[in-house]
Amino acid sequence: MMRIPEVIFDNVSKFYGEVLGVNKVSLHIPPGITALVGPNGSGKTTLMNLMAGLIFPNRGTVSVRGLSPRDPEKLMRVLGYATQYDAAPRGVTGFDFVLTGLLLYGFPRPEAERRAWKAIERVRLTDAAGRKIAAYSKGMRQRIRLAQAIAHDPEVVVLDEPLNGLDPLVRAETIAMFREWAAQEKHVILSSHVLQEVDVISDQVILISNGMIVAEGEIRNVRDEISEHPSQFLIRCRDASRVAALLFDEEHVTEVRLNDDRLGLLVLTRNRAAFARTLGRIAVNDHEIESVIPADENVDSLYEYLIGQGGRS
Amino acid sequence: MTFAFRLRQALLIARLELGRAFFSKRAFWVYGLALFPLLIFVGHGLDATWKRQRWAEQITTREKLDSVAEGQTLEEVRQRLGKPIRQGDWEDREENRKHNWLSYYDGRRRMDLDFTNGLLTHIRSEPLVNFEEDRTIFATVFQYFYLRLAIFFGSLGIFMNLFRGEMLDKTLHYWLLAPARRGTLLAGKYLAGVAASVVIFGIGTAVCFYSVMWYQNGAEVQAYWAGPGLSHLAWYLAASTLACVGYGSVFVAAGLLVRNPIVPAVILLLWESINSFLPAALQKLSVLYYVQSLCPVPPSEIDNDTPALLKMLLSPAEPASAASAVLGVLAVTALVLWVASRAIRRTEINYGTE
Repeated sequence: MMRIPEVIFDNVSKFYGEVLGVNKVSLHIPPGITALVGPNGSGKTTLMNLMAGLIFPNRGTVSVRGLSPRDPEKLMRVLGYATQYDAAPRGVTGFDFVLTGLLLYGFPRPEAERRAWKAIERVRLTDAAGRKIAAYSKGMRQRIRLAQAIAHDPEVVVLDEPLNGLDPLVRAETIAMFREWAAQEKHVILSSHVLQEVDVISDQVILISNGMIVAEGEIRNVRDEISEHPSQFLIRCRDASRVAALLFDEEHVTEVRLNDDRLGLLVLTRNRAAFARTLGRIAVNDHEIESVIPADENVDSLYEYLIGQGGRS
Repeated sequence: MTFAFRLRQALLIARLELGRAFFSKRAFWVYGLALFPLLIFVGHGLDATWKRQRWAEQITTREKLDSVAEGQTLEEVRQRLGKPIRQGDWEDREENRKHNWLSYYDGRRRMDLDFTNGLLTHIRSEPLVNFEEDRTIFATVFQYFYLRLAIFFGSLGIFMNLFRGEMLDKTLHYWLLAPARRGTLLAGKYLAGVAASVVIFGIGTAVCFYSVMWYQNGAEVQAYWAGPGLSHLAWYLAASTLACVGYGSVFVAAGLLVRNPIVPAVILLLWESINSFLPAALQKLSVLYYVQSLCPVPPSEIDNDTPALLKMLLSPAEPASAASAVLGVLAVTALVLWVASRAIRRTEINYGTE
């Protein structure tokens, strides 16, 4: 079976004069939905611009499914990039904006028009396609950029904050579209600072702070990698005080906080496997445990642990 | 990708860019530059036409005008020629002399008669409009203003805008994300700039050229068109076209290499100005040197009162032949575009620093 090429960053550094963009980034991004997460100025857009060849690394190499970003003639046939730059060419309608891009691919005009309409329909802008982009709302401009990025049916879709300004219905449809592409073995690489959204959408997450990759992989695996930081679990049970006492005796448990209603507790553990075994033992000994919920497995908490501290430092 | 495909891409980019090149808000002043000489020639033409109409009622025959001679008294002349079209007097108190002057018009020429203490001392005669002189004035304006300043700064406005303008508008990334080589993008945008500047300054040249004629004597104009007129127009158009091609290449490259257009503009303007003092080999690295060589009519002699430095700067170099002028501009253009094609490959989007 043929291996699907990845998006590869090999020891990539990018500086803007004296200012660090990203530093010594090495990544292998497989197909599927990958989210770049980090605070403003952390280097998310730099990574995306490096992939698309809008900027070039000072050190290291970038490869997008085997293609160099220095060769836009080939690269842009497999890559579509919806940037966060809000400006649009002056006096251009939404339809012409998408159509122009397609004509540059060499599509015959009828085919280019068909594809333009299809992409515009996908982002639900058909009614506004004839209007000038300058008159669009922020959300509409976001959608027309998305339409242009996907109109040529690329294998790698790079989207900088793609869900910004979208209404809930379009947002849900857009997320469904991302999942559809991911199912087709395409790369969907997006950035976001709306962490709940990334948590729901992404197969992979790359956490970036101050131009450095802090963690990468599936959200659960990323969390597991952070062994020095305790995992948090919320436990609901009738005899919370007793369960708390039993848990506190365990070496891997670092903190137990009892809820005010005395029907629940928050446990911090350094060893998830040992914690699971302990819980099993407690349950066997007639302590009824209603539920156990990981309290920190979403991106917000990872973000807080990994980036928030770095960002504040 | 074949060459034909890339050519189609470049032409498509040029077509898409034309609107921006013609109607960019940042370059509207280019139209003002292109048509500025029109003010001079239309103004001169209106003045001549107005005088011709006003003086038509007071035409004095040539025979009468020829009958006056120096030494005649003011009264004699007045009696012989009648009421002048203009007259005046002034007094030289130091030398205790009274001066009078009278002007007469014979339908084509104006005769000015100067009197000192009542005696005719000087007779001057000149045509109301002098086609040959006006053509020389046009040649002077074309070489010293149109080529050196109007097309120079007009090209700066149009060609710098192709990349720098997009960088300032934060729209350049759309082009860099197109599935086209950077060189193809450069070619397309440069073609759009050339098309726009050639049309604007070509029309400007033709309109200004015609504006020298509409108020002239019809027979003289007809003779001119039957003679060298068309060829002169063609050479002026060729010079303005080549100036757009040459300066355009320099400014499109500058737009890729530097942020502030003033710096390369000043350096180039200085280079072009001192070009005539440089060794022959360096003179050939100039757009002005070649395009001036194509101008069909030499400009007016530079006045002796002109400051020495300015006179040196305005002195044209020894002209090149037409063929070497065309080839020279094309060679300079090719060299500069090659530099630009190297620069565009390194171009990055970094709107934050703009």
